[in-house]
Amino acid sequence: MKLLEMNHVKKQFNGLEVIRDISLSVEEGEVVSIIGPSGSGKSTLLRCATMLERMDSGELIYLGEYAARDRDGKCVYAPKAELKKMHRYFGLVFQSFHLFPHYSVLKNITDSLICVDKLPKQEAVERAERLLAQLGLADKRDAYPYQLSGGQQQRVSIARALAKQPRLLFFDEPTSALDPELTVEVLKVIKELAKEHMTMVIVTHEMQFAREVSDRIVFMEEGVIKEQGTPEQLFGTENERVREFIGHLSGGSLLT
Amino acid sequence: MLLQLGKGMIVSVEIFVLTLLFSLPLGLIVAFGRMSKNALLRTVTKIYISIMRGTPLMLQLLVVYFGPYYVFKIRITNHYRFIAVIIAFAVNYAAYFAEIYRSGIESMPIGQYEAAKVLGYGRGRTFFKIILPQVIKRILPAVTNEIITLVKDTSLSFAIAQAEMFTIAKQIAAAQTTIMPLMAAGVFYYIFNLAVAAVMERLEKAYAYYR
Repeated sequence: MKLLEMNHVKKQFNGLEVIRDISLSVEEGEVVSIIGPSGSGKSTLLRCATMLERMDSGELIYLGEYAARDRDGKCVYAPKAELKKMHRYFGLVFQSFHLFPHYSVLKNITDSLICVDKLPKQEAVERAERLLAQLGLADKRDAYPYQLSGGQQQRVSIARALAKQPRLLFFDEPTSALDPELTVEVLKVIKELAKEHMTMVIVTHEMQFAREVSDRIVFMEEGVIKEQGTPEQLFGTENERVREFIGHLSGGSLLT
Repeated sequence: MLLQLGKGMIVSVEIFVLTLLFSLPLGLIVAFGRMSKNALLRTVTKIYISIMRGTPLMLQLLVVYFGPYYVFKIRITNHYRFIAVIIAFAVNYAAYFAEIYRSGIESMPIGQYEAAKVLGYGRGRTFFKIILPQVIKRILPAVTNEIITLVKDTSLSFAIAQAEMFTIAKQIAAAQTTIMPLMAAGVFYYIFNLAVAAVMERLEKAYAYYR
């Protein structure tokens, strides 16, 4: 089953075409990594998928339900109530975490469950505690975000996203704000999720990680998908530009 | 003398409390207008803030108090004097508070709004649960400054002969040709502000549990 479908997406910022006709779909259980140079439109694509940006044209479909349709080249979004429902299908983990600094770790996770999803408080707390234990953060339950390392903060933000029990989880460069040591602990968590067949779309610069975790890797440049395939296909590609990019980021060691 | 001054002080405190009660929420509404997408609303609030900050508060007091008579020929009652003081102060301080709120709200990182949106918080809930508490922490020092100024500004209501502490002190000083009442009033204002500063410090400490 297709969880996400994006068709012919276009997006401009002040006349600058950031995304030029991209189509991408994600199957249930699939892990898709998006790689590419800075300014290639990777993050914008993710922001369009998560409705933080409005597309100029194209279609956005979650679980067969239209969030946005294309009408004569113009993008028409579904009514607010429907979009709100579709927001439950996905979660997003940001590059710089965006935890709520005035809430404890526990409340960061439970607050939206209680006040948005109307979960009984006890159930929300139990769910949060389970996730925190799973991510090795059980003792940080009552800490505030500023008391945590970057890696811990990012794991909390993953827990916050997972607590909503999304069908699909997006990651926007989840380790770009972390030093190498902390990067490892976050990547480990994402790998665990991949093992449990969580459907994920990950924008990343970590080539080794993308290769290990992905079912499919998408290479984006200048607002289009230049190449995509299994990690084996992509790391063994003939495409000079892709080889150059991967070689540059991995010191050439990953190319086959 | 102290008894009279004490009565005056109660009036000063009333002016102070009522002004805060009205101007703090009013300032938030003005701040929303100032940041509105609607250009007309934005311009109107901008002009309003500009006038409130650009003209003397004492003049504004006189306009609010005498305006109804000079402009509309409405007879001014004694009862209206106190109301005029509250209107003038509230409207003036709301302009200052609006700019403080605006600076705080605009300093919030956009990521907080985006995180809230992805988690399903609506606009109102995002503002009141996520944004406003953090804004309050950020603007507390600036608000403290305004509140301390307000304590002293209450004395401006002598301009329309409102019987608060300063007006009374001046009357006694003139009648008995002594400077003591004015000195005593000064001590009162100072102690009042010590108390205000202590309260605000406690409030800042209460928000110090996170960074």
